[in-house]
Amino acid sequence: MRRIDWRAGLARLRRLWSGSLRIRTVAITVALSAIAITIIGVYISTSVRTNLFESRKDQVVAEAGRAATSAQSVFTTAGEASEAQDLESVFDAAAGAINDSVSTAPLVAILRAPEQGGQAPFIDQASDAWDQEMATDSLRAAVLASDGDSVSWQSLAIADPSGVGTDPAVITGTLLSVQAQDYQLYLVYNFKDVQQTLDFVQQTLILGGLALVLLIGAVAYLVVRLIVGPVRVAAETSEKLAAGQLEERLPEKGDDELATLARSFNRMADSLQRQIRQLADLSRVQQRFVSDVSHELRTPLTTIRLAGEVLYDQRKSFPPATARTAELLHTQTERFELLLADLLEMSRYDAGAVQLEVEPTNLVRLVEDAIEAVMPLAREKKSELRLVAPGGYFEAEVDGRRIRRILQNLLGNAIDHGEGRPIVVYVDSDASAVAIAVRDFGVGLAPADMARVFDRFWRADPSRQRSTGGTGLGLAISQEDAIVHGGDLDVWSEPGRGSCFRLTIPRHRGELLGGGSPLDLPPDDALDLVRDDEEAS
Amino acid sequence: MNARILVVDDDTAISEMIGIVLKAEGFEPQFAGDGAEAIELFRVMRPDLVLLDLMLPGIDGIQVCAAIRAESGVPIIMLTAKGETTDVVKGLESGADDYVVKPFNPKELVARIKTRLRPVLPESADTVGIGDVLIDVQGHEVRRGSDRINLTPLEFQLLLALAVKPQQVFTREMLLEQVWGYHYKADTRLVNVHVQRLRAKVEHDPDNPRIVMTVRGVGYRAGAVS
Repeated sequence: MRRIDWRAGLARLRRLWSGSLRIRTVAITVALSAIAITIIGVYISTSVRTNLFESRKDQVVAEAGRAATSAQSVFTTAGEASEAQDLESVFDAAAGAINDSVSTAPLVAILRAPEQGGQAPFIDQASDAWDQEMATDSLRAAVLASDGDSVSWQSLAIADPSGVGTDPAVITGTLLSVQAQDYQLYLVYNFKDVQQTLDFVQQTLILGGLALVLLIGAVAYLVVRLIVGPVRVAAETSEKLAAGQLEERLPEKGDDELATLARSFNRMADSLQRQIRQLADLSRVQQRFVSDVSHELRTPLTTIRLAGEVLYDQRKSFPPATARTAELLHTQTERFELLLADLLEMSRYDAGAVQLEVEPTNLVRLVEDAIEAVMPLAREKKSELRLVAPGGYFEAEVDGRRIRRILQNLLGNAIDHGEGRPIVVYVDSDASAVAIAVRDFGVGLAPADMARVFDRFWRADPSRQRSTGGTGLGLAISQEDAIVHGGDLDVWSEPGRGSCFRLTIPRHRGELLGGGSPLDLPPDDALDLVRDDEEAS
Repeated sequence: MNARILVVDDDTAISEMIGIVLKAEGFEPQFAGDGAEAIELFRVMRPDLVLLDLMLPGIDGIQVCAAIRAESGVPIIMLTAKGETTDVVKGLESGADDYVVKPFNPKELVARIKTRLRPVLPESADTVGIGDVLIDVQGHEVRRGSDRINLTPLEFQLLLALAVKPQQVFTREMLLEQVWGYHYKADTRLVNVHVQRLRAKVEHDPDNPRIVMTVRGVGYRAGAVS
């Protein structure tokens, strides 16, 4: 569980990283400047530390030298003046001399050098905080090996006077000579103040570095904003243009590269807008033309039709040739009318002037009606019509008139090309779509013809006699009818095995098809149905 | 006496042809070529039915329809050249009872005219109640209490059809057959628009109907008598 969360977080970060130029630029700038500042900071801090330590150490060593000299002179003077003089007072004087010559009170220890014969003039003296461990063997050896003038030193850590933690310190060692005996003088200097100075410097460096990184980040952010901001505005404006808000333009400020971009962009938008407007005007003219043609053609056609009908009704009283003329006039007027209606419908689709009148409709009932309407024709062709609707909820928001028109087209074609074999109509649905398939077992179509079946004025077989009086626009209009519903009209066909046309439309207006259909193409049980039928007969 | 029909169309050829068809059926047609003439002639002639082209020069068919409807419930059948949705709905909303799309065949036109001139009323008692209104079948009157509600013959027929079978839910197709005389699938917008017009006249609150009730997804039924 936690692992998944971690992965999801990582994925989100990656998306953020690749999705925002701003974040990427700022992050890279901050990271690189942080590395640079760290290197510089470490260098500064190291050299400051070295310098501080060295100078303090030099000072301490010099002091220790002075202190040793003073102490030595006290001891020497005392030794020359009188041997009987009180050693205690001499030692106090030496300690005083040491204290006079150092700036900060160090720990002091005067130790008799080991392995000397004779009697010690005085026993080892040391401050309270003195610890024998402070003077390491190597230091003691260095001190014993030195002459009286040189100062040996080592750095060490001593307990802090407050009792908490340790402080850095330097111990110096000098050789003294008291009444021909060697004594080691050790002075321990606490370097706490140096450490404090160093800590302060380091703290300042870290804070300064952090502030600098933040500042650089902020500057980078501002700069990126200056660049990315206009780019983002351009992107948003393009989106709006793409969405059809053709009035959108970019602000043109200044003479820089971004202003050039804005100007070029705006010129492109102007040109686009001009062209789209021209197309829209053309489309309006087209629509207007269609509407005018509709009226202008239909009015005389109505008169012709009425006249033809009147003549046709009286044809029995005409001589045979005139009677036949009246009949031809009648049928061809009807055909002309159908053709005109289909042409107008097609132009309406081309002009995008089609409006749907949707209402919740039971598709099975719609199919039943359509089947009933073509029954006379089917009987004439001896095609049996079957409806297979395997239950389910068939209500859908459709324009009933258009769906009925599609069905009549498909059924008419199926009867025309069905060779008198049964025709099966399937209706099925799922949660999002409803589908109707019309399956015939007639001549079928060659693969090359299948691709052209929805073309305007295309006919499968020109020599074939048509009984439904089609105009050649039926399937083209049906396909437009399906598309305007947000649906689709597909075809499957094989020569000799028949054809299947499948209409799939979303259940609710405005939804999109998911890609699938509640019905397979061709419905797989179709052949079984016919086989059963053949076995039965 | 033969029914007098006012034919309004700006195309003289079509007017004349319609005249020939109508006369052959025994009607008495008179003709008007534009909107103003149509309204004038209507007042003089008091026709039994109006055939009205929607596309007229000057005052258009929709306005003529509304003007006639304002003073009379006479049946109006629109002749529309366009199958465009909005024109048909506009015409029906302005008061036309039915419409025929050009080009039409003469039998269809005559059938439409005859249905409108001689509406087939369902057999019923002399008075039928629906919601809080009372229909006097013989007197062709609808009353709420003592107030008379003015309905066109078509609206009367529609209301009566619903009222005589209060238990029945009528689909739009059933109403089209019973009231408009269509025996095949016709335009259900006829029903929708006229139900709206009827409700505007008989309902207290047309948005919340109590007399002509909607049965969602099916059609309409009569509201309970109160």
